[in-house]
Amino acid sequence: MYEKDGEEIFVIDGHVHLWDARQENIIHEGGEQFLQCFYDYHTGFTPEEEQWDIDTYRHYGADKMTDDLFGNAAADMAVFQPTYLDDFYDEGFNTTEQNAELAEEYPERFVLNGSFDPRDGEEGLRYLEHLKEEYDIPGVKLYTAEWRDESKGWRLDSDDAFEFLEKCAELGIENINAHKGPTIRPLNRDAFDVKDIDDAASSFPELNFIVNHVGLPRLDDFCWIAAQEPNVYGGIAVASAMSTHRKRKFGEIMGELLFWLGEDRVLFGSDYALWNPDWLVDQVMNAELTDEQQAEYGVELDVDTMKKVMGENAAELYDIDIEEKKRQFRDDDITERFDLADHYGGDAGAAAD
Amino acid sequence: MSGSSADPSGEPAGEPTSDRAAKRSESSAGDPRGTVAVRERLDRVEDPELARSIVELNYIDAIDVDGDRVEVKFTLPTAWCSPAFAWMMATDARDEVETLDWVAETRIELCDHMHGEEITAGVNARDGFGETFPDADGDVAAVRAAIADKARVARQREAVRALLDAGVDAEQIVSLVRSDLTITGDEAHVDVGGLSVVVDAAPVADYLDRVTTSGHVTGAGDLLFLTPEAEPIPAAELDVVQKRSRLATVNMGGQGAVCDALHRARHGADGPDGSGSPSLDESEFGESTYDGDVEDFTSTWTLSSDD
Repeated sequence: MYEKDGEEIFVIDGHVHLWDARQENIIHEGGEQFLQCFYDYHTGFTPEEEQWDIDTYRHYGADKMTDDLFGNAAADMAVFQPTYLDDFYDEGFNTTEQNAELAEEYPERFVLNGSFDPRDGEEGLRYLEHLKEEYDIPGVKLYTAEWRDESKGWRLDSDDAFEFLEKCAELGIENINAHKGPTIRPLNRDAFDVKDIDDAASSFPELNFIVNHVGLPRLDDFCWIAAQEPNVYGGIAVASAMSTHRKRKFGEIMGELLFWLGEDRVLFGSDYALWNPDWLVDQVMNAELTDEQQAEYGVELDVDTMKKVMGENAAELYDIDIEEKKRQFRDDDITERFDLADHYGGDAGAAAD
Repeated sequence: MSGSSADPSGEPAGEPTSDRAAKRSESSAGDPRGTVAVRERLDRVEDPELARSIVELNYIDAIDVDGDRVEVKFTLPTAWCSPAFAWMMATDARDEVETLDWVAETRIELCDHMHGEEITAGVNARDGFGETFPDADGDVAAVRAAIADKARVARQREAVRALLDAGVDAEQIVSLVRSDLTITGDEAHVDVGGLSVVVDAAPVADYLDRVTTSGHVTGAGDLLFLTPEAEPIPAAELDVVQKRSRLATVNMGGQGAVCDALHRARHGADGPDGSGSPSLDESEFGESTYDGDVEDFTSTWTLSSDD
C-alpha cells in the first residue's frame, strides 16, 4: 500500500507478465525483435539507476517478479495479462499456463486472465472453456492486430469475435482486455481504429472492455468512444511510464482521461516487466497536474482519484474486497516472506508488542 | 504532400534563398551548398503520426552530396515503426529532394528497420507500396487521408481560439466560410457579418494549410470549421469540438513522446543528427538482427508490438 496525505492507497497493478524470452525459447527471428523492442521501451522510460541488463530482462523468473511487485509493498495485488506469441516462442512468451505457476502459488495476490483468438474457431472455444474450468479466469487479454497465416488480424466486432464474446458472457468471463497498440506490418488501415471496441461494447453491455495503453496512438478516438460507452475502461500501461521523463505529457493524458472517462474508469498498470512497480508506483503517485492543466481539464490527481485509479477501479472489475484483502494480507505468505506485517497494520494473530 | 511541384524556374544549383542565409551559416558539414539545400527540403517531410518534421525529430542520419547525386539515410525511433508510415516518409523525402533542380539522382536509405531493405529498394526503384508489400491490405493513400484528417482536427483548436479571443462568438465562428477569410502577411482578416476582425495569421494560416491539404475546405462557400466527422458544427457544440481538437493534439504529442523515448533508447540522447556527430552504430543493436535476414521471416511474420 502507498501512503499519501496520511491515507492508505491499495495498489492493484492491472497489467503484469511473467515472460520467457531466453534464446533457447526463441524459435523465430520475430521473437528476438519483439524482445528488443520491449527493451527499448524499458530503457526509454526507466530511470537509469533502475534499468535492467538485457539478460535479466529476457527471463527474470517468478522469484524476482514476486520480489519486485511485493517486496517493498509497491503493489498489493497484480493482474496477469497473457501474451502467447506461439509463432515466436517455443513454449510461448507469457501464456496463461506460465503465469499460473506464480498465480497459483500466491492466489490471494494475483488475478489470472486468459486469452482467446477467434481464428481458432471451435478449438479456441474449447480452450476458453478449459481456461475457465482450470483457472476460473475472470477476464481475457486480446490481440486484434496479430497476424496469422493469411490473416492480417481480426476485429472485435466481427461475427467470429462475437461468438467468443458470447461464450465469455456465458462463462462469466467479464473483463475483456484489448490491446490497442501500434499495428506493425505491413499496413495499418486499422492503425487508427479502435472503433471495433465501440460495437462490441454496445453489443455486450454485460462485459467490461478495458483498452490497454488507452489506445495510444489513438487516444483521441479511444476517449471519444469511451465517453459514449459506459462499459469501456482505459488501462494506462505505457502512459504511466511517461511519468518518468515526460511529466507534463503524463499530466495531459491523465487530464484527458479523467475529463472524458471520469475517475471510475481509469486503471493503473505497470506493464511489468516493461516497467517495475517497485519504482513506478511511487513516481505515478507523486505526479501532479500543472496549474494550467488543472484549469484546463477541471480535474486533479488528488488522493481520492488516485485511490480509484491505483486500485479501487480494478477491485470493482475483479470483485476484490479491498478491506477484506487488507485483513488477509496481515499474515499471508507474501507478508511473511517479506516481513510486511507492520505494513498491513498487522499483528493479527501475533502477539502485540 | 506539399512541395512536390517545385518552382521549375529555380536558379542554378538551387541555392538557398537569402532569407535562409543565417541557417546556412550554421551548418558546416559536407558540401555547404547541397547539404543545406537538401536539409531544407527534408524539413518539409513530416512524420505522419506526429505532424512534425523528420529533421526536427532528428531522424536524418546522413546527407551525402556528390555532384548531382544525393543520398539520404534516415532511422526511425523503432524498427517496428509502421511500414506504411516509413514508406510515406521515404517517398516524401525522395520527392522533396528531387524538387532541387540540380539533383539528378536521389537515393533514400531507411536504416535499422524491420522492413528497411524492402522499403529502401522499393522507394528507389519507384515501385508502389502495393508492389513492395503485396500482402498489405488497404493502401497508403487511405492512411494519408486518415492522417491528414487528424492533423486538421488538431489544428482547428488554435485557429478557433484565436477567433474566440478576438471576440467572435460561437454562432459566428461555426457559420464562417472560406471566402470570409483573407490572409495578408501576419494578419488574418475575418469577415463577420460585414465587420472585419483581425487576428494573428499564424494559427489560422496553419489550419487553412491543413484543411486545404485534406480537401475539407476548398470552395469559397465551404464551411471553414467542422466537427472531427467533417460535419457542420452546431454552435452549442463548439466547446465540445474544441475539446476534441485538444484531445487530438494531446494524442499526437503523446505519441511524439513515445517515439522520442524510443529514439533515445536506440541512439542515445544526442542521436544521429546528420551533422557528423554520433553516427548510428549498428553494432550496438547488432544482436537484434535487423539486417540481412529480414526477408526470411517477413512472409510468416505476425503480430503487433505489444506488451
